[in-house]
Amino acid sequence: MLRPVKMSRVVVAGSKSVISPVVEKLHELRLLHIVNYNGSQPQFEIGKPIGKAKEYSEDLIKLRSITRYLDLKNKAPDKTYPESQVLSEMDNLLNNVGADVTATYERIAAIEAEVKSKQDQIKSLTPLAVLPLPLDAYYGYESLATFVGTAKTPVDADVARVSPANEIFSGSAKNATFVAVFVPADKAGEVSSVLSEHGFSELSVPKLEGNVDSAIASLEGSIKSLEGEKAPLQKKLVDIKKQYEDLMLATDEYLSMETRKTEAPLRFAETDNAFVIDGYVPADQFSRLKSELESAAGGKIEVSLIADKEAEGLVEKGEDVPSQMDNPSLVKPYELITRLFAIPEYKEFDPSLLIFVFFPIMFGMILGDVGYGVMILIVLMMLKKKFRTPGWQQLINVVMVGGVWAVIFGIFFGEIFGPLGLWGRIMGHMHEHEIELAKEAGLYFGEGVFGTLGRLGPLGIFPLDRLATNAVLLLIGTSIFIGVIHCGVGSILGIKTELNYGEKKHAYFERLPVMLFQVFFCIALLGLIMGQSILTYLGIIVVVVSIVMLVMGPEGAMGLAHVPSYVSNLISYLRLLAIGLASVGLAYAANQLAFYVIMPMLSGGATNSAEFTIPAIIAGILILVVVHFINFLLGILSPFMHPLRLHYVEMFTKFYSAHGGGVEYSPFGHVRRFLKA
Amino acid sequence: MAVVADAGVLYGLLAVGAGLATGLAGIGAGVGEQGIGAAVVGVVAEEPGFLGKGLFLMLLPETLIIFGLAVSLILMFAWTPFAAIVTP
Repeated sequence: MLRPVKMSRVVVAGSKSVISPVVEKLHELRLLHIVNYNGSQPQFEIGKPIGKAKEYSEDLIKLRSITRYLDLKNKAPDKTYPESQVLSEMDNLLNNVGADVTATYERIAAIEAEVKSKQDQIKSLTPLAVLPLPLDAYYGYESLATFVGTAKTPVDADVARVSPANEIFSGSAKNATFVAVFVPADKAGEVSSVLSEHGFSELSVPKLEGNVDSAIASLEGSIKSLEGEKAPLQKKLVDIKKQYEDLMLATDEYLSMETRKTEAPLRFAETDNAFVIDGYVPADQFSRLKSELESAAGGKIEVSLIADKEAEGLVEKGEDVPSQMDNPSLVKPYELITRLFAIPEYKEFDPSLLIFVFFPIMFGMILGDVGYGVMILIVLMMLKKKFRTPGWQQLINVVMVGGVWAVIFGIFFGEIFGPLGLWGRIMGHMHEHEIELAKEAGLYFGEGVFGTLGRLGPLGIFPLDRLATNAVLLLIGTSIFIGVIHCGVGSILGIKTELNYGEKKHAYFERLPVMLFQVFFCIALLGLIMGQSILTYLGIIVVVVSIVMLVMGPEGAMGLAHVPSYVSNLISYLRLLAIGLASVGLAYAANQLAFYVIMPMLSGGATNSAEFTIPAIIAGILILVVVHFINFLLGILSPFMHPLRLHYVEMFTKFYSAHGGGVEYSPFGHVRRFLKA
Repeated sequence: MAVVADAGVLYGLLAVGAGLATGLAGIGAGVGEQGIGAAVVGVVAEEPGFLGKGLFLMLLPETLIIFGLAVSLILMFAWTPFAAIVTP
């Protein structure tokens, strides 16, 4: 579980006459992770595609353009199709339906372009309404130059100065002055420079006839009729999409599958008569691969296992052993978090199991509220039906387990929608004199009780009100304790990983001192707090020893530079308490505001809840809903992000991905979604 | 120089100090994250597979604010010389 699946390096060599059935079988088995041949050996060349590779990829391009027109997105399948049905309907789909879709789409695009140009024309026509000229007066002259546009200052006098023969019309609208200047063509240059001194900016006048208003009206009319034509065409596309969606995705799947099969030999090494495939297969599946391939190729093939020693040599030459994470179904969703960071290398540990253990507990400890926890579960149940792709499902499962822990911690913390919330009303709380007594004894951990059971745990610390001083101190300790365990597990895995890579010095003088330092640093602190000087001295001695070991390690004295970060790693775990406190604080503020400020105030200073007026209660509930909703949204986000950080930064740096991440095992083959097996 | 002996005033100063510790540390972390965040968004836009590592880098300066918070918590709850003065 903590390790990727064991892999075997295999070589498949066979006669070229059986290449098709072999590829077909490999695709069906989905076992062999092919190592691409790079053409490095002169006696082998890179293989060539087999069969109808070109046709398939052409069909695929055709289909993809149709699906793009239809705006088809990948989705969870509603319906699956047998391959024979896809084959029989493919021609109709690609040609008839395809042509229909293309024509419709192009017509819609043309209509949209036309509407756009007409709208632009209307836009440039509107200001011309202030000038007393019909539209055909603006164009069609040979000896006249026309300038139409806006000017900041009156232009008449200056234009008359450079061109005595002129005709100028002007009018103003919307804080701008519009002018139309007609001058002889040979004066155009001078007039243009004069106009620019007046801040003239030109408008383009559409070549239309009649007066401005009627032209705008007729443009608007034609836009309307074009829109009228567009609507049924769009509906037609939607209908086609609805009718053929799954079939198209199934065809896409079929064609991609076939393309991949026909192009597979590009990854093989070939001679004139034979082919060779290199690859990895999970060790326990080798015999199955061998027997299946041999029967498919009728004996014209040799499937052999490469000895571990020789395989090591290949790895040293730069070949990556693919890693397949191997976790029980409960842990599977947490592979998402591992994968987001890096794929584990073949020799590394797969941290998914550890994430499964620690992540939800941290999530729960931060959120720690029965109300929010139950709400998260309800919301996620609904989202789970909506988002059915595997990635979303995994993410939802991860958060759901966190939600369960939030409910559990909520019971420990005595919170239903924050302290002062529903807990006291449902489960009851201590009497005031009992609270006073507890405070005097310095043992006040909160005022909630578990119904008739009263307070539980040593010194009666549960339900633990996280805002009480004693509880904060207790939780600081708990957070650091979790940190020591979390980092310690990481360090142990780090030591083992380095040993796997044969780096003894790194293991014992780089990884081990970190663990010793962090554990015994905390033991020393614990000794200080508890007043046990033996613990303190023991802690300090081991810390010093670990620092000496670090200096002896591969980094030498430079290793000392890391020491502060080992302390800060541990302090970082305080966020488990801190983020939680922030969310409790907000919930507390909401409850305080509603029950102890808004409701009494609006009820004219009533002190007990029976006297609250209806409007006061409504206003109070409104405040509660809004603030708790905001807190709830934050309450999903930060309890997710911060444990994520604790794993990525504090834990993974101890053992994971130090050598740069691995390659995922992706066997040649295809998981059918829209196609029936 | 006047000596402040009023426990209430001391408590108020403690609270101000605690607030400053967390707040200033928050600003520091924010400034740090600003640059990293911008760079990470840029990288992820080109190479979505980098998201995890990008998040890792982006979350690094967050420890700063926890330091500030730790100081605040110590001031408010745990530092016995002050706690002794403040506790009525």
